[in-house]
Amino acid sequence: MQIITKNWDKIDPFRIEDYIQAGGYASLRKSIREMDREDVILQIKESGLRGRGGAGFPTGEKWEYSAKTNSDAKYMICNLDESEPGVYKDRIIAEKNPHQIIEGLLIGAYAIGAKKAYIYLNGHYREAAEILKIALDQARDKEFVGKGIMGSAVDVDVEIFQGAGAYICGEETALINTIEGKRGEPKLKPPFPPVCGLFGKPTIVNNAETLANVAYIIKRSAKTFSQIGPNSSPGTKLFLLEGAVKNKGVVEAPLGTTAEELIFNSLYGGGMVSGKEFWFAQIGGASGRLMPRGKLDQTLTYGNCEYPIGAGSILVVDKMADIKDFLYSWAGFFHRESCGKCVPCREGTFRLWEIAKRMKNNDLREKDRENIKDILWTLSNTTFCPLGNFAATAWSDAVKMFEKEIFPNTNKTNNDTN
Amino acid sequence: MSIQKILLQYEPEPENLLRAIKDINKEQKYISEKDCREISKYFSLPLARVFSLASFFDLIKFHPERKKIIKVCSGGPCVMERSLEIIRQIEMLLKIEAENDASPKVKLEIMSCQGLCDRGPIMMIDDQVFEKVKPEMVDDIILNYL
Ligand SMILES: Cc1cc2nc3c(=O)[nH]c(=O)nc-3n(C[C@H](O)[C@H](O)[C@H](O)COP(=O)(O)O)c2cc1C
Ligand code: SF4
Ligand code: FES
Repeated sequence: MQIITKNWDKIDPFRIEDYIQAGGYASLRKSIREMDREDVILQIKESGLRGRGGAGFPTGEKWEYSAKTNSDAKYMICNLDESEPGVYKDRIIAEKNPHQIIEGLLIGAYAIGAKKAYIYLNGHYREAAEILKIALDQARDKEFVGKGIMGSAVDVDVEIFQGAGAYICGEETALINTIEGKRGEPKLKPPFPPVCGLFGKPTIVNNAETLANVAYIIKRSAKTFSQIGPNSSPGTKLFLLEGAVKNKGVVEAPLGTTAEELIFNSLYGGGMVSGKEFWFAQIGGASGRLMPRGKLDQTLTYGNCEYPIGAGSILVVDKMADIKDFLYSWAGFFHRESCGKCVPCREGTFRLWEIAKRMKNNDLREKDRENIKDILWTLSNTTFCPLGNFAATAWSDAVKMFEKEIFPNTNKTNNDTN
Repeated sequence: MSIQKILLQYEPEPENLLRAIKDINKEQKYISEKDCREISKYFSLPLARVFSLASFFDLIKFHPERKKIIKVCSGGPCVMERSLEIIRQIEMLLKIEAENDASPKVKLEIMSCQGLCDRGPIMMIDDQVFEKVKPEMVDDIILNYL
């Protein structure tokens, strides 16, 4: 089943003609010419599409909030900030088929009544920036973007806004702050952006992969889409297979596929790199949980599931790896990326990073065990935004699953000076 | 390009503030206090607003950088491809310690994921990106590019 990857490597991302020939922009035409805004939103609602940026919020429902809010201006934003370690799917969509994102963004803008749309692009993405810029210029030339789209009375201008390399700016309120020229710190919700977002106006922020599904739904009907995968979370998902798996890279699979299939089925990962033995998999990037062998048969969906897919990365770790390297990697990441707005996260990630560094030098103290517990509890329960919780997710799992590896000499009390 | 020229490319709207700051930072490699004052005047925004935005991002510097900056990605996928060994190799070769400012010539920084995980491990020297680096390649890269 291919929705997102269907035309990859078949069309030239620098030629809008290729995309059009493959049926591209027909859904935009259909939306504007044949459908009311309400119809478009209804289709997206009935398709059951859920956001692919991590939280899995129903997309149609979100659009409806903005559509129903009266305002002189509204905004539609494509979130292509993508800074979760191990996640680069949105970059690949942009590089292989940029118009698929742009078409979804335009249909969304039409549906909610936004005249202005942004693509918020990760500051590191140089090639994707170039490709998207050319794609937008071509779309403007063909009158898909700008004033009077395809001879209609619909105006949507699209601009690229490139960030400056900060993970937290992928969080929608922080993202909005940086476009407004403010620090990229998250804001208190409510008000939620669909009602009060960019410059105080109704604003939809959608992940790039979410938007890349929209044209398909309009073209093939909500029903067709809703029949792919499980009822509660239909459609396909891009997964990133990484680490000790044979075929690394981006694959598209129906939601509801198990981690086992993704890793071991020859359609996808094709099993472990020869000579390596499965230890655990991290699902969803640095902020994701650790899945042991016994849980590999869990289906991955955006419903209520034990191992949230997040943005879709599956990092396969083999038994030769050292858990301390990962604790070091996670703690360092969240320490660097904590925005500093709230104390539990700013201090908690800093202390965890200190402990991780000591751990790597085999200099863990007995008291650290207690401290780690306190810090993880604080991060999980008291931080202002989800980044603080993310910082504790993998650590909490690791401490439970790999106690022996992390605290090898539990009986010995080290001299403690702290 | 002069600061004024860069600024004049943009309408003085708040949404162009970060763009202008990034451009100036790219042109000069840093932004001085004087630059911030000019930016603040051009955008008719308080100086504090300019500082608070610029200082939020590690990318924006307030002093000219005199050191070579080496960065190595430590995201999970790069760690699986031995990026922590690369860090150790650089530390030994240059007799420096990651994240430590002691050397006057070079600094080794640990970097967050660059979204290039399919081409990792990723290493950078200033603006230059090296992909699929192996610990065995570190000596050559340092010798030729540092
Ligand atoms: C710390 C943090 C980082 C995030 N980073 C991203 C990101 O890089 N890309 C993204 O699409 N969503 C990211 N999100 C989720 C966004 O806030 C938002 O929910 C999402 O863009 C909504 O789009 P969707 O409904 O299409 O998934 C992040 C959230 C948090 C808390
Ligand atoms: S939890 Fe962390 S990232 Fe979120 S507001 Fe607090 S300091 Fe900032
Ligand atoms: S983990 Fe190194 S580039 Fe993504």
